[in-house]
Amino acid sequence: MSTALQEKPNAEELPVSSAASVLLNGRYLPPPADKDGKIWVRTTALIQGDAKKLYEMWHDIENAPAWQEQIVEVRRTGPKTSHWVMSSGGEKDDKNIEWDSEILADEPGTRIAWRSIGGDTENAGEVIFEAAPAGRGTFVTVLQEFRMGKLASAWETMVGRNPKQAVIENLRHFKALAETGEIPRTEPQPHGDRGTIGGMKKSLYGEKIATPPGTNS
Amino acid sequence: MGTSKVETLTVPDPELLNPHDAIIKITRTAICGSDLHLYDGFIPTMEAGDVLGHEFMGIVEEVGAGVDNLKRGDRVVVPFTIACGSCGFCKKKLWSACDNTNPNAHLMEAAYGYSGSGLFGYSHMMGGYAGGQAQYVRVPFANVGPLKIESDLPDEKVLFLSDIFPTGYMAAENAQIKEGDTVAVWGCGPVGQFAIASAFMLGAARVIAIDRVPERLEMARSIGAITVDYSEEDVSVLQALKDLTGGIGPDSCIDAVGLEAHSSELQGLYDVVKTALLMETDRPAVLRQAIQAVRKGGTLSIPGVYGGLLDKVPFGAAFGKGITMKMGQTNMHNYMKPLLERIEKGQIDPSYIISHRITLDEAPEMYKIWRDKKEQVTKIVIDPWAEKAA
Repeated sequence: MSTALQEKPNAEELPVSSAASVLLNGRYLPPPADKDGKIWVRTTALIQGDAKKLYEMWHDIENAPAWQEQIVEVRRTGPKTSHWVMSSGGEKDDKNIEWDSEILADEPGTRIAWRSIGGDTENAGEVIFEAAPAGRGTFVTVLQEFRMGKLASAWETMVGRNPKQAVIENLRHFKALAETGEIPRTEPQPHGDRGTIGGMKKSLYGEKIATPPGTNS
Repeated sequence: MGTSKVETLTVPDPELLNPHDAIIKITRTAICGSDLHLYDGFIPTMEAGDVLGHEFMGIVEEVGAGVDNLKRGDRVVVPFTIACGSCGFCKKKLWSACDNTNPNAHLMEAAYGYSGSGLFGYSHMMGGYAGGQAQYVRVPFANVGPLKIESDLPDEKVLFLSDIFPTGYMAAENAQIKEGDTVAVWGCGPVGQFAIASAFMLGAARVIAIDRVPERLEMARSIGAITVDYSEEDVSVLQALKDLTGGIGPDSCIDAVGLEAHSSELQGLYDVVKTALLMETDRPAVLRQAIQAVRKGGTLSIPGVYGGLLDKVPFGAAFGKGITMKMGQTNMHNYMKPLLERIEKGQIDPSYIISHRITLDEAPEMYKIWRDKKEQVTKIVIDPWAEKAA
């Protein structure tokens, strides 16, 4: 049985000392390096739309399966807690990864930070929403930290997605959904025989991961 | 990569996958010169079983719940670049840089730093979308891209609004032509032809067309260009361009050839060897020559496709003369409507470039003929519903 994270890596004050922030007092801040079994990924997207609406879309966590890869269910369990179910690629329920999550910081229109509090995985994350200059949209920056374990190995071994890339793709899906109301996809579509190396290439291209449904039922 | 095998197969019909999709029953489609870069294996991530084709038009068969500008039965030309219409790039009218239409954006990010828009039938890196050398195709963001044709103009007159006419036009626009300019165009294939015609529309006094295929040079002369056959003995393109411009060089140069340039000079062999040894991915003979040829402070416009790494590009010459270079996939959505108006007004009939009209079954053989520049082929149009002639 895994244990929850003891520290709260992403719960500091915004804006200048936020762990997800790219800037601190005018200097560029590199993302935290992987160490002690922790994997960090920071990714950012310029999204057309105001910070408040994007914050609300992210905050609607029960709708996360619409845009997060392999997340099959999110259920609120309390004012700050929720239960997450992720498919690890298999058909049967016993292949699912489940965990509980709690919100550490919630600043409407600005920031959400969370961490897992027990279950099959240990992870923590933060998302910040900042207006881009000159009305050019909103910078949405995600910082996610997780331990190698069931979560990371599910991404990597079951569907061939590098776990860091999964976080990057999820923000890309979020942006597409927010800007256009759908997530671009090509599966299923007609094609000829892919030949013997077709499956391998599909995995390499990340085409084995089901694109989240977006606004499709 | 590089297997040069095209087949006609029966596969399931496409289905609506997203709210802004449409299914189009294709009435005419074409083979593009840039399909040859796929055929010859120059574009990575093209895979066995992929459906080719990015120049097509047809009748709307079915639309998704989010498409309110089209209905079943509408006749449309579809742009080869897929654009969402809502991201920061689409808002800037840089449609071919759309952020939201490439499901495999991470592949292009790895290769190019950032991903452009998805394209039909043009490798997995560019989205992996099934193409339109077929009877039916799924068109994403049908609320943004397809251009409705409401007049009774025949398909052949409007089909090339799907790529090559706008591509040739944007090449001329990118060339920053001023009234009275001299413009040199390398490559008299379809894009080169439309670049020549568009250069005149935008005020060029003289257009010099460079190629080696007699029927293409003839076609260029027929629309008013001066031609230079680089394959003729004693012809130096650089000298010819000086001789034709009082020694100053063309104001603008357009490279409508791209990454598979042929060259009669020693460097042609050099590039064949280097690409064969994977030390270079593209053969940039035209690009080198155009940089050398353009006048001081002139403009180089590049509609020809490049895919990867180029060797021995004379960047010092580009800097030394202070030239401007403009290039990229066509921002289709800016040009389709204005160019349709020019066709409707009778200012141009783009069908003049068509040399071959074929069935889908004949397409595999035509790829080879087109690649080898045989049978005086200049442009191949496919009727995907026609039966093969006995």
